[in-house]
Amino acid sequence: MLNLFFLSILQLLYVLALAPLAVGILHVFDERLSSRRGPSIFQEYYNLFKFFRKQSIYPKTASGFFSYVPYITFGMYLFLTLVLPIITAFPLLFGPVVDFVGGGLVFGAASTFLKLASLDSRNSYSILGASRASSIGIFTEPIILLIFIMFGVISGTNNPYVINNILQTSTNWFFSLVHLFVGVAFFLVLIIETGQLPIESHTPNEFGSIDSLMSLEYSGRELALLKWGSYIKSFLLMNVFLNVFTLPFFVPMKFNILAIVLYMFINFLKIILLLAIFAIINNVVSKYRLFKIFDYILIAFSFALMAMVVFYVVNGG
Amino acid sequence: MIYLLPSISATLGAILSFSLFRNKHKEVSVLASFLAFVFSIFLLFEPDRFTAFFYVDSLSKIFLLMISSVYLGVVIFSIGYLEHSHGHFVKSCQYFSLLDIFVGIMLFSVTLNNFGLFWVSIEATTFATALLVASENDIAALEAAWRYIMIVSVGLTIGLVGTLFLYSSAHTLSITDLLSRQNRGSLFFLSGMLLVIGYGTKIGIFPMYTWLPDAHGKAPAPISAIFSAILLPVSLYPLIRFFEVYQNPSLSKFAFVLGFLSVMTGSIMTLNQRLYKRLFAYSSVENMGLSLIGVSLGSYALFGTIVLIFTHAFAKSGVFMLTGNMLHELKTRKIEDVKGLIKIMPKTGLFLFFGALAVTGTPPFATFFGELLIVSKTINYYGWIVGFALFFFLVCGFLFINYRVINMVFNDETKPVSSAKESPFTFVPVIFITLSAFVILIVPIFYRFIEGVIK
Amino acid sequence: MGKEIFALVGFWEIILSIFMQWQAYTISNIKTFSVQSWILGIFLLWAGVFHGFIALIILALLTIITRAIAMPLYLGNTIRKQIYRARENKHRISTGLSILISLLLAVFGYLVYYLILAGHGQSLVSIPITLMLQGAFLIVSRSNAYSQLIGYLVMENSMFLLSFLFSELPFIVEAGIILDVLGVVVVAGLLMRVRDEDIEKEEELLG
Repeated sequence: MLNLFFLSILQLLYVLALAPLAVGILHVFDERLSSRRGPSIFQEYYNLFKFFRKQSIYPKTASGFFSYVPYITFGMYLFLTLVLPIITAFPLLFGPVVDFVGGGLVFGAASTFLKLASLDSRNSYSILGASRASSIGIFTEPIILLIFIMFGVISGTNNPYVINNILQTSTNWFFSLVHLFVGVAFFLVLIIETGQLPIESHTPNEFGSIDSLMSLEYSGRELALLKWGSYIKSFLLMNVFLNVFTLPFFVPMKFNILAIVLYMFINFLKIILLLAIFAIINNVVSKYRLFKIFDYILIAFSFALMAMVVFYVVNGG
Repeated sequence: MIYLLPSISATLGAILSFSLFRNKHKEVSVLASFLAFVFSIFLLFEPDRFTAFFYVDSLSKIFLLMISSVYLGVVIFSIGYLEHSHGHFVKSCQYFSLLDIFVGIMLFSVTLNNFGLFWVSIEATTFATALLVASENDIAALEAAWRYIMIVSVGLTIGLVGTLFLYSSAHTLSITDLLSRQNRGSLFFLSGMLLVIGYGTKIGIFPMYTWLPDAHGKAPAPISAIFSAILLPVSLYPLIRFFEVYQNPSLSKFAFVLGFLSVMTGSIMTLNQRLYKRLFAYSSVENMGLSLIGVSLGSYALFGTIVLIFTHAFAKSGVFMLTGNMLHELKTRKIEDVKGLIKIMPKTGLFLFFGALAVTGTPPFATFFGELLIVSKTINYYGWIVGFALFFFLVCGFLFINYRVINMVFNDETKPVSSAKESPFTFVPVIFITLSAFVILIVPIFYRFIEGVIK
Repeated sequence: MGKEIFALVGFWEIILSIFMQWQAYTISNIKTFSVQSWILGIFLLWAGVFHGFIALIILALLTIITRAIAMPLYLGNTIRKQIYRARENKHRISTGLSILISLLLAVFGYLVYYLILAGHGQSLVSIPITLMLQGAFLIVSRSNAYSQLIGYLVMENSMFLLSFLFSELPFIVEAGIILDVLGVVVVAGLLMRVRDEDIEKEEELLG
């Protein structure tokens, strides 16, 4: 019991500390692939420190809700780090609080709060960002739900830890077509949720306006918390993709301190591999027009639905 | 082997008229078609032959005779028709060689014993005829040819699925083997339905007939003639063989419903037509629907179908060739622009009138006899209401088509018109339409000839 | 093992035909079709080598040469001579809806198998049925001639898969399929040159 508590704190600190580093490394990869030098990999830490030292200003037309939302969403993201399998494959102290569907709903709740706050700020660009994010988010929800249902079909439960165990141990399920299609669908959704190209771009040349506009009115400590929260969200989603879906190897299934510490490094290496893939994709494709994003979402949905058809066809009747 | 002689002569004509004798291609084609005709008459007196590759009985011989005689007529008429062909998609020698190869494949396919080879040969005719349909080289003709290719190819793919199921359930594709085995499963029934739909696309059955008016409307006149006369019945031939092998009330009912809907669509759509070639194209749809009904009913309705197909070949091809004459001289495709044909082009007008009567089933012509047999079997099998509904639609078709044709032929207004020149080869459709009248005299000979096929 | 590989190949073909609904340029459709034929050819080659049927190996090589290499090259060359308007792939219904309908056809194909063919074959039969329906839908949803031709060729691809499952059709008919498809493509290449896409209003083709 005390071990689990200690491990929970360790996991929390791991995510808090390394999430900005991950995003920094992604930016550096991007810039290096474009033959530029790019910032240092610790640039996001410097940004966060800068924002924490500054004073927060609130717009005159915003209510009190506007100032509380960053703390609420940050708290939700911290809560999610305690329930997802990041450095262990067995549930930690707070593991049984939510399962996969609950986790998805908490992600959704956090982004809803952010959208409501951006509406509250009465800035037209924030409202634009909120409406775009809503219209895309509403279409990615069914895909995520389908993916979780398919994983429930595979493993019989909705528990991310059990799914990890099954995929780690059973080669039959790992190499099955259902797993492949669901993995591809989740990868496509991951691109949408973390805001990579071809959905949204962050380079100085293009102005991506889906996720970055919503926090336009924030400053100071709230802005730091919002940014940190979004880094943690990206880090968590990438971890879920790697640990549960794609490369669920080496995650320690029993309590062994050495294995867990070793796995913290391996996990970060896996994250760097995924960031390299993202950087390559960012430099190969160009940003989609806004109306083509919905066709892209439909393709992701096709993969998820085809996984269900595959399950019925291959496993007979 | 001698059963392949008509086909070989037509194919040789194709190859020769394209490669060696480019300047004399017309003569070569006429010679090839005449040889094919002579061979098929000669083959009428040969015995039936059922080997692993050939299945030639009296039905095949009648088809061979029909195909080769219409072929001879069409080739002779094309010589006159193509004098006006500048700016066409296919040059004159290519036209003749495509025509020859098309008829060669048709002559080959009615002697076969294998359902798979039926499919291959009927699919193979698609590309020869598509180029011929597109001859006029204007936008609508190319579009009509494109629709023809697409719809027919997709339909024949469904027919291939049907053939696949046939093979998978019976493990053989030859007619002789299928006749001897008797146990059928539900996969066989499914393959029958798919074959009806698949070949039905090429025949022109509702709802797959949509390529037919476009292709017939825009193709040059001899090509429309040979489509209606030969291509449609030979695509029906595998279905005749299939229904001979497998009698199933549900499949017959399915084919009957489709045929009935075709008759209904054909006759009703003729009310609304503005172009005369499309008018006769819908009449083809109606006739082919009626033949499918006859095939699905069996016994003496099948005999009625064969009489209908045989007479319809001559009559419809004659009619289409006469419309070719009309297009060349009057330069219009619309019905309302054609008036008083009997004054302008007497032979064309008179025989158009007779031909329209023949095609819609009027007593001295043998089509009436065929339709009578089919409708009576319908009444016998499905009751009075269905029979009278069928009869009603046939009467509708008769009225609408003849109304338009009589308007075209006899309605002379006060405008004085000079008589126009008819093609020197107009004797061909004249002969054909007259022949279709006289077929009724040889119907008893037919019956004794085909007795083995009809049970 | 053969069953899983067939499922893998079949479902990637279905995904590729869903991609064909997504693409905006005709040349991408042709390239996707080429990839689809490559997958099919390599699968048939593997099956022929594995089971030792010479006929299947020859058929696979013929498939690769004609459908994966020669035909897309020929069609690609014909497109480059077309006017620019014909290179875009105009949808008759919007892209999103056509992807969705294609997807629903996959579910429908499984339903058709379940209701009609359930006694006669394995559940893998639903894959070629789906592919055929998606090829047909590709023809229906486009007015561009090249896309319609690609839709027809996708249907012929599905015929190969179907005959592999029912696995006993004589070789001569399969060779006939290939030659006929060749003929259709050649004719279509000739006819596609001046085809206008606003042909619906032409009076001679109405009624």
